[in-house]
Amino acid sequence: MIVGRNLKIALAALAVAVVIGLLSLRGLHGRVQRLAQLQTTEEQARRAVLAPPISTPTDVRVQAKIFWAAGADKVAPVVVELPLSADPVQRSKQVLQELMTNPPTPDQRTLPADALLLSFYILPDGTAIADFSDALASETPSGILSETMAVNSIARTLESNVSGLHRLKILIHGQEVDTLAGHADLSGFFDLNPLSAAPTHP
Amino acid sequence: MRRQIRQLSYEGAEHSRLFPAARRAISAILCAVRKTFWRAILPIAVAAGVLVAWASARTPLQDASSQQVSPDQTAPPAAPAPPSPPAYSGPVIVLNPAHGGTDPGARGENGLAEKDVVLEYAQVVRATLEAAGYRVLMTRSDDSNPSYDDRDAMANAHHDAIFISLHVASTGTIGTVRTYYYQFWTPFPAAASAPQTPAGVAPPPATLEEWDEAQRPYTDRSRLLADLMQAQLAQSFSGSPAASAGVEVRELRSVAAPAIAIEISSVAVPDENVLKAFDSQLSACIARTLEAFRPANAGETK
Repeated sequence: MIVGRNLKIALAALAVAVVIGLLSLRGLHGRVQRLAQLQTTEEQARRAVLAPPISTPTDVRVQAKIFWAAGADKVAPVVVELPLSADPVQRSKQVLQELMTNPPTPDQRTLPADALLLSFYILPDGTAIADFSDALASETPSGILSETMAVNSIARTLESNVSGLHRLKILIHGQEVDTLAGHADLSGFFDLNPLSAAPTHP
Repeated sequence: MRRQIRQLSYEGAEHSRLFPAARRAISAILCAVRKTFWRAILPIAVAAGVLVAWASARTPLQDASSQQVSPDQTAPPAAPAPPSPPAYSGPVIVLNPAHGGTDPGARGENGLAEKDVVLEYAQVVRATLEAAGYRVLMTRSDDSNPSYDDRDAMANAHHDAIFISLHVASTGTIGTVRTYYYQFWTPFPAAASAPQTPAGVAPPPATLEEWDEAQRPYTDRSRLLADLMQAQLAQSFSGSPAASAGVEVRELRSVAAPAIAIEISSVAVPDENVLKAFDSQLSACIARTLEAFRPANAGETK
């Protein structure tokens, strides 16, 4: 009789503990979600300060081709409708900003989330100079494959959306560097629109 | 006068008292020397001379007897010949295990470092190629980190070299392998206003190659080597692409010889032994590729 009573008490205590655990788990899950939202908000806030959206009077919504990762070893275009400027420098900044900030899924990201485009120039001979923050070099995974995908996503995105570009030079924080992360050679240039004839110097 | 004679005779008498004593001392010394010579030195000298004569007469006899083999004796079994140095042939293979020292290259979550894996790969590949008769050099054989130019200079020091760089990726499907050759950007045409060689001044020799673009004249041969290599790798490592890729890999740029980079995926492997087990397949693929490449490369060396 006494044993049966003790068993009932133990079962009741166990049931209460399970209910409390479930409630705690639900609360914990909600807290994790709120934390993730907070991080996204912080990243958006940081970008809003350091790399605000670029808009110009000549912006027109067009179908842009942005090259993100398609599988483990190649990049492929994704068509995105974007307001793009008629000015090639502003247009280049707009498509590169889209490339860095809005990959469709995290797995399709080719450039580090913290990387920023510091400045962008186009020389009269069609050489595009893209100056990125240190994060591009320090946070790109080391390897020929990963570094090549990063460079290809930049080069293919530029040549698909901005006309008149013939080659690309990548700088890190205003400096020419030997490699991106130990492999991809950044001391030279990258061909853009390689099938088109290279221009002659003025 | 008499007095003078007396004086002289007195001095002569003094001398006569001194000389006999000296003569006795000298004669005693000479006597001791003679005795010592006849009793000790002479017998020792004679014995030594006999011994030297016997020894000098015996040595050639022994040599002659050792060379003679009597007809009823069988020849002793021949001692094993010392290993002859391998007969090196063909090009010099320069293996480049990438990174090293403070540069670990790609790093896995389990602490696996690209620099360690590629060094082990290079040692296995070296043994395989040397067994096949190649002369193999390595840009590093320990945890050092030579500069890109130092690595390239090892290949450029030989008139017939092939440069093979080994890498492990951070990304990519595990167990797949890719081969790369250096794809240069398209040079702009020379500007019309570029400085021309003055009349009467000989242009620089055409054989000089610019160090920073030393690979440019070898791009086609490097591409051929990379295609052959990738064809072999695609058969052994399923899921690998069928063709090589032309990219700008820094360490290949200044090599004045056929040069490729091979990259295996990846350091993200859960067990590092899986990655290390690829070494025999990799070395076999490289050996087969070099055999296929040699006829195509023959006659086009520097």
